[in-house]
Parts: sequence; C-alpha cells; structure tokens
Amino acid sequence: MINKDLSIDFLGVHFDNPFCLSSSPVGNCYEMCKKAYDTGWGGVVFKTIGPKHFEIDEVSPRFDTLDKEDTSFVGFKNMEQIAEHSLEENLADLKRLKTEYPNKVLIASIMGTNEQDWVDLAQLVEAAGADMIEMNLSCPQMTSHAMGSDVGANPELCKKYCAAVKRGSSLPMMAKMTPNITNMVPAAQASLAGGADGIATINTVKSVANLDLKRKVGLPVINGKSSISGYSGKAVKPIALRFIQELRAAKGLEHLPISGIGGIETWEDAAEFILLGSSTVQVTTAVMQYGYRIVEDMKNGLMHYMAEQGVDHLQDLVGLANHNMLPAEELDRSYKVYPKIDLDKCIGCGRCYISCFDGAHQAMEWDDDKRQPFCNQDKCVGCQLCALVCPVGAITYGKVEMKPGRQGVPAEKVI
Amino acid sequence: MKYMKEAEPSYTLSTVMEEAARCLLCHDAPCSKMCPAKTDPARFIRSVRFRNFKGAAETIRENNAMGAICARVCPTERYCELGCTRSGIDKPIDIGGIQRFVTDFEQQAQMDILHKGKPNGMKVAIVGSGPSGLQTAVTLLELGYAVDIYEKNAKAGGYLTYGIPEYRLPTDIVDFEIKRITNMGAEIKYNTTIGEDITMAQLKQNYQAVVLAIGSREAKSLPLFEGNPYMETAVSFLARAKMHHGQLELPDNVLVIGGGDVAMDVATTLKRLDVKHVTDVVYEEFNEFKASQKELLGTQAHGVTIIDGYVPTAADGKKVTFKHRHIDSQLVIEADKIILAVGQKANAAGLGLQLNHDEVPFTGYQAAPQVFVTGDIAQGDKTVVWSVKRGKEVATEIDQVLGGNQHD
Repeated sequence: MINKDLSIDFLGVHFDNPFCLSSSPVGNCYEMCKKAYDTGWGGVVFKTIGPKHFEIDEVSPRFDTLDKEDTSFVGFKNMEQIAEHSLEENLADLKRLKTEYPNKVLIASIMGTNEQDWVDLAQLVEAAGADMIEMNLSCPQMTSHAMGSDVGANPELCKKYCAAVKRGSSLPMMAKMTPNITNMVPAAQASLAGGADGIATINTVKSVANLDLKRKVGLPVINGKSSISGYSGKAVKPIALRFIQELRAAKGLEHLPISGIGGIETWEDAAEFILLGSSTVQVTTAVMQYGYRIVEDMKNGLMHYMAEQGVDHLQDLVGLANHNMLPAEELDRSYKVYPKIDLDKCIGCGRCYISCFDGAHQAMEWDDDKRQPFCNQDKCVGCQLCALVCPVGAITYGKVEMKPGRQGVPAEKVI
Repeated sequence: MKYMKEAEPSYTLSTVMEEAARCLLCHDAPCSKMCPAKTDPARFIRSVRFRNFKGAAETIRENNAMGAICARVCPTERYCELGCTRSGIDKPIDIGGIQRFVTDFEQQAQMDILHKGKPNGMKVAIVGSGPSGLQTAVTLLELGYAVDIYEKNAKAGGYLTYGIPEYRLPTDIVDFEIKRITNMGAEIKYNTTIGEDITMAQLKQNYQAVVLAIGSREAKSLPLFEGNPYMETAVSFLARAKMHHGQLELPDNVLVIGGGDVAMDVATTLKRLDVKHVTDVVYEEFNEFKASQKELLGTQAHGVTIIDGYVPTAADGKKVTFKHRHIDSQLVIEADKIILAVGQKANAAGLGLQLNHDEVPFTGYQAAPQVFVTGDIAQGDKTVVWSVKRGKEVATEIDQVLGGNQHD
C-alpha cells in the first residue's frame, strides 16, 4: 500500500496529515476525539466551547437532509449550537486528549459573548493544552445575536474579538468565517488586523432545506415551528471554494493561511481545497453520515494523487490553482469547441438532443430511425451541455475553431 | 405457506427511487413504443423520478386498466424491457417492479382514477371477464356505454383468478382491479353461460353490440392419459390451488408434463406447497423452451427436476414411459400424481363462432354485425398486456361502428 508523507505545517503547528474534524457534533467529547485520532485524523477542532454563563439548550429533532433521486445527504441542515457539556468537562477533555495524544493536533474552538469572554476562554483552552485556537465567528444558529454569524458579518467586532483572544493567549489562532455575507474579504482582513494568524472557512450557509407540505412548516418541526439554520455537505462545496478563491485573490492575501471547510467527502474534494490555498481541511457532514473511517480513503487517495503529481511535500500543492482563476472579463472568448460524438459508445438515449434543444441552441439533431444524434455546427455554440448530460461519456471535446474574425491558433488553445 | 406469499419483494420509496434514477429518461423512449397496451413506462418512470407518484399512477391506470396485474405478470423482457436503452450500459430498468410500486401506491392512496363517460344511451354485452373483457368494459364505460359482463364462473377474472398462482398474482390484487371496474358501473352476471342461460340471439336483441372476450381456458389432454385416475390437468390443478388457498392434499412425488409458462407455474406451485419430488418432463429441449427465461429460472431455483427433450410414449397408471426425441434414450418415471400442462384450447360453444387453432380466422375485431371478438381468440400474443391492447382496440372499434357520443 502506498505510503507518502502527508504532513504539513500550518500556523507553526505540525500536522501529520491535513485532515481535521471541524468544530461540530463530531468532536464533542473525549471519546469521540480519541476514536478520531485512532482512526487517523491529523487534527481535531473540538466542538466550540462557550462561556460558563451561556447556557446551551438544544431542540429535538435538530437535523434535516436535502435529497436528490436516491441520494440522501446532498445537503445537510443542522440546528445544533456549540458544546453543551460544562466548561469544566470540556477543558478536562482537552487536557486528557493532549496528554494521551501529544503528537496529534488539538484545536480549541471558542465563542464568547463579549471581549472578556473571549479573553477568558483563550486563557482557559491554552492552559488545558490546546495547540491552536479557532474563533467561531460564524455559527448561524445561535440563540444570541451577540454570538455566531451576526458577529462574523461585522468586521469591527471580528477585529475587536480577535484582539481579545490574542490578549488572552499566545497560541496560533484562526478566525472562522461565515459565508452568509456577499464579500468575506473585509471580515477576514479585520480579523487579521485584530491578530488572527489565519482563516478557517466556510461555516454553514443559512438555510431552509425542506418544508412539510401538509403542515406548511420548515423541517425539522419543533413543536409546530422551525427556524433558519446552517446548511453543509457536498452541496456547499462550490460555495466554499468560491470564498476561498476570493480570499486568496484579494490584494495582500495571496499567501493567506487557510483551513478549508465545506462539503469535503473524498480525497478529490480535499485536493481541490488544497489547490485553492487550504493547508488543512476540516470535515463534519461526511463524518456524521459515514463515520470517522472516511479519513482512510481521503489519506490514501491524497497520497496516490501526490504520487501521480510527482509531489513529495503536500505544501507544494497548496494554492497551485489560485492563479488559474480569473475574473470573467479576462477569459479567452475567441474560440469554441465542438462536441465529438462517438457513435460506437452512444446508446441512443437522446438526452443530448433534448438538452441541446430545451437548454442550449438546438444544434443537436436526431435521427429517429437510427436513434443517433448529429451535431449541426452551424448552430452549435460549443457550450458542451451535451457532453455533460451524456450518461455514457460518448461526447467529448472535438474540433476547436476560432470565432469569425478572431486571431489565434486553435491547436494552441488549452481546452 | 410459501404458496400464499407474493414471491417478488416490492420496492420501498427509497429503492424505487434508486431504480428510477437508473432510467436514462430517453427521448422518444423505446420502452413506451414496445408496450402493446401503450402503458407508457417512459412517462410513468419519469413521474416517479420527479416524485409525482400520483401522476405516475394516472398514466398507468388511464392506459391500462390491468395496471397492477400487468406489473406482476407481464413478460416485460419481451416488451418494454426489450427496448430499454439502459441495456446498452448494464441491464434494463425493472419496469414491472416500478409499475408495481406505483399501482400499490395508487391502492394505498385510495386513488380513483377511472371514471364513466357521459352516458350515450347504448348498451354492450361482454362475454367473459378475463383481462380483455375487463379492459373492454373500462374503455366502453369511459366512452359512455352501459356495460354488462357475462361470466360463466362464480368469480370474475378468468385466467387471472383461476390460473395464475397466488405467489405471482395475489387474489386480492385481481379482486381490487375488478372492483374498480364494477365501481365504474360495469355489472357482472356470474354463473351465466351463453347458450345455456342466455342465447346469443337474446344478447343481440338486448344490446347494441356483443363482445366475445374468450380465452383458451380448456385444458388439452393426451390420448395416452385418457381415464388415468392419477392424471389432472394443469388448468384444474392451478384453479384448485387458487380456490383452496393452497390447502390441497398432495403426494410426495408428482410428475409434470409440459414446458410452457403454465407448466412452470404448476411445478413451482407444487414446490411452494412443499411437495418433495417434482419432476417436469418437457418435449422441447432447453434451447427451444417456450417458457420465459424468468419462469424457467424461478422453477429451477425451487428445486424442480427438469428433463428436456422427452415425449411420453406410454402410461400405465402411475408409470409413464418417455422417449427422447432425438437420441436413443428411454425414461420411465413413476409418480403418485401426474399433471398435464400440454396446452389449452378455447371453447366457443354456443357463440356461433368459427375458430381456427383457437383463433378467429380474421384480423381485426368485428366477427358479424353487432358481434365483436377480443381476448385470446382474437389474433396476436396470448399475454395479459395483449389482452389489454385488444380490449382497448375492440372498444374503440365498437364506438366507431355505433357512433357513441360523436354527435354531441
């Protein structure tokens, strides 16, 4: 079995692999984190610890999933807040974990209601043995508006609380950002100005996942009512990647240390986050669905990817894709790529014909008798929707052609 | 008892979505083109895929009044599934299974999809309450005709009720399909034989049209077995098993002769009734078998010994001698019971109908002024789905001849 070094340094802390549990129900106590470490996770962000005076009182039930066809958990809605155990229990768990797993990374997620809370919590988790602090500025389902994503949407508060944490502890610290804003850059910059060493993102996306059509209420139903709360899982991956790219594209943030979060289930998902600038990645939803064991394939798959890429240090992959993302106005619009149809592979379902007519430019023609598609290049704009809907991969990129009047060499285009 | 339990497990809401998600949702879908009854699987599978289960049930029911029955007994591998494009990737969609899920849902949701049309003042008599007669009734009722069905037996359904074993087609399902039709307004006159209880002449007098919806329900025999006390025909055995809910006295050693779907039903029924030794001797060799592949495999899986290529040459009480059709080989089997599944024939006595090999000698449906035929005596495949097709078509033809509501 392949064995490659997956270790990476992030904010001065050495991780034996980049895979961490994110702050959530999956890292809620000693036993859970112990099992996660034993299964091979590189780090754990212990479920967010709040101040003693803030009481957690959860609803039941508290989750919901978005399904598509036969696939459950396309997206996941979660109403659980921060750790419900007492502050003393949480600190004792941190201490025990660090004692028993000195070489695994232990990150304490904290959340205060005011500056003093943040200072105090930072002190307490450092004393308990945490290697790093993550500031939860982003939970969208807190029962207090002085906490969670309402704070993360306010750059001034981000800066103030980051500074408070830095007063309480000298540990490396990342600020966890909410995606429930149009632009994450100001909040990230304010956090850095306040003393944050890096950014963790994204937290969950505010959502209503489903409604009960008979009772006319969102799900889950809590005594006849429901509430907007955080959405996660595979469906949010594109949103997470977008925010991470925007951060790394902002002036001055080109080398921003990032812990990437959002819908990671496979090594491929993780590799995407790494290529867009994440040094570590954090996972919850896939663990809730499948358990800690998923890290085995994420690690092994990432090792094979490194081998295929000829890379010996994971760090060498971080951010490699950032420069390949351009503003829309800077893309090369001088050519188009026609579809190439392999009729030996085609099974004659006609999906390309339907999608081209109903969703594109009526370029795909259909032979009723032979049950075969044919691309009319006079109408084809090269959108390749046909290739995306083909269930057997019979349509691939074919001839490249410059648009009329445009300069360029089709063969040189990287398609 | 294994006989009373439906053999095929049904889909759940999540597994039916898995199967529907396999469907490629083809343009101009071949499956729909290959359903003789135009049940339109492409349309109802698409409805399932988009979670419109009620719409799926409407598609099935409006196109096929025997929807829940076809879902269970249709040899789909010869029709819709034969056309399925998904076979180009792996294997066809389980269309029958999805149809069964949808029609079960229809029943659970107590949907009432079929409705009588505006009465046109005309009456049609249907002779026979098998699938063709029932479908004819539904289509005529929708077109505004009053319909009476004449059934010689005590229960309606024909072969559905008296022939197909319980584990393949539960009686409850058939009864429910028939109830939908009587609820629409069809009246079934039970225990009424044409030519004995009422004549064709009377029917013609009382109704604008008479539809002879006759199947091949009489067992054929072999001269070798005339008067043999150990012999029972498949038709008789299957009917007894169904009417007695499988409570039959059977010996441990039964010989079945025949190789069609009926023989497979007999052999499997015997096994599901816990008969220890079931031997089926078949005239055809395996590569020319008449039974559908699915039925054959099911029978073999039940542990029936199938011997192919032998023809019976002598019968002496329990002892039957066979010879191989091609090689020099003789086989003697002694069994405590012998069931003959060697084919069935139509009984058209009293109907004034000439049959040629159990079929009318003409294409189409009109036999004489006022008289129409449908069911297995009309030309075409002898399957339920073809009966449905013929039922719809004969009703449409009658409406064209009689004029119906066309002047409204």
